[in-house]
Amino acid sequence: MSEEINTKTDDVKESRRDFLKNIGIAGAAALVASPVSVEASVGPASPDAEITVAESLQGHFVLMSDKEKETAIERLEKRYTAKYGKKTTVSDVPAPEGVLFGYALNISKCIGCRRCVHACVQENNQSRNNPEIQWIQVMKIPKGNFSFSADKLNKGYPESSKLGDYGVQVGGNAYTPVGGLSTEETQNYYAADEMVPDKDYFYVPVQCQQCEKPPCVKACPVKATFRDPNGVVVIDYNWCIGCRMCQLACPYGARRFNWGEPNLPPAEMNPKTHYFGNRPRMRGVMEKCTFCLQRTREGRNPACLEACPVGARKFGNLLDPESDVRKILATKKVFRFKEEMSTYPKFFYFVG
Amino acid sequence: MIKKENSRRAFFKKAAAVVGVVAAADYTKTLISSSSDSAGDINEKYAGDVNAQDSIMSQKQLVLMTDNEKKLMLDELLNNYHKKIA
Repeated sequence: MSEEINTKTDDVKESRRDFLKNIGIAGAAALVASPVSVEASVGPASPDAEITVAESLQGHFVLMSDKEKETAIERLEKRYTAKYGKKTTVSDVPAPEGVLFGYALNISKCIGCRRCVHACVQENNQSRNNPEIQWIQVMKIPKGNFSFSADKLNKGYPESSKLGDYGVQVGGNAYTPVGGLSTEETQNYYAADEMVPDKDYFYVPVQCQQCEKPPCVKACPVKATFRDPNGVVVIDYNWCIGCRMCQLACPYGARRFNWGEPNLPPAEMNPKTHYFGNRPRMRGVMEKCTFCLQRTREGRNPACLEACPVGARKFGNLLDPESDVRKILATKKVFRFKEEMSTYPKFFYFVG
Repeated sequence: MIKKENSRRAFFKKAAAVVGVVAAADYTKTLISSSSDSAGDINEKYAGDVNAQDSIMSQKQLVLMTDNEKKLMLDELLNNYHKKIA
């Protein structure tokens, strides 16, 4: 009987024990071979090789313990300092309490000089050339696209009738907006040496609108992008898997993907960085405007606002009725994009 | 008596084969990605992103908000801020 069993066992070419052993060998070999082969194939000079294994394996920053955060920051500071040859700090200053950031831009003042665009690139360590990644895009819109009818401004809502307040009045602002600025025939890339402003055009800079209900956050399969307590949509670059779903979901096309290794010359690198803000990004991750959170979390204004020579940009706390942004909302003619899809952007355009 | 497939020689043979396969796969991946990521291709991809934004934004309309719309929007923003997460 026992002989019979032994014969049967011998007949099985590969037992479960052998199978598991082989899996174990393969796993161990893969672990050993992977870094070695990467080093051998891309070479130590490749930027990819500079990202440490520990950095690649780290978890979502928000879910890390204080000790893990400290280690991750130290690791980044060390790498950036070595790579750019200057002492680099990576802050993890948390979002201040009691603050909801909002931004307002005066269309009638903007002269389209693009100083904000370049200040943003410098402040936020974006790829400089070949290509230069820009988070702000200035649209040049013919003034003929603007229409406004002041007397209809507050019309279009259900009104009392002889029959009583039943039903919803059809028409009004929902169908014929009382004022608007169509972006048809927009020129996004007017020549850099073009004299501005052209008296026949409005200039409308577009950047991340910091939606209160951001579709990009809903689209992210790994929650690498999320809305911080100040209402700013941020990205954990190390957690981003580069699937670009957020880019597809953004109604304003405001996100930029690093298709290649960003080209950031050490001399132009801004060494004062924030983990969720302007720290240098790597290939294969998404990036976008964060209202310069490395500045705003410390009570400073965004770089684009400081660079604006005509004071067209205003920034402030929406929770504070005395802030510039709240006063603008209360007193100015404010615009929003019609197709906002109930995303509640916190970036407003106004005139006056 | 050690079975032939359990010998040390067989073990090293398997380990070497696995290392070889992983290294070859990684090297192939590097070759493929480096050839497709030439500077021209990458610039084209960046330009594609910007063009996509152009196309999206050129179909938009900035609409003037009424006082009521402004109030509703602000209420929504402020309520959302003060909302407690369960």
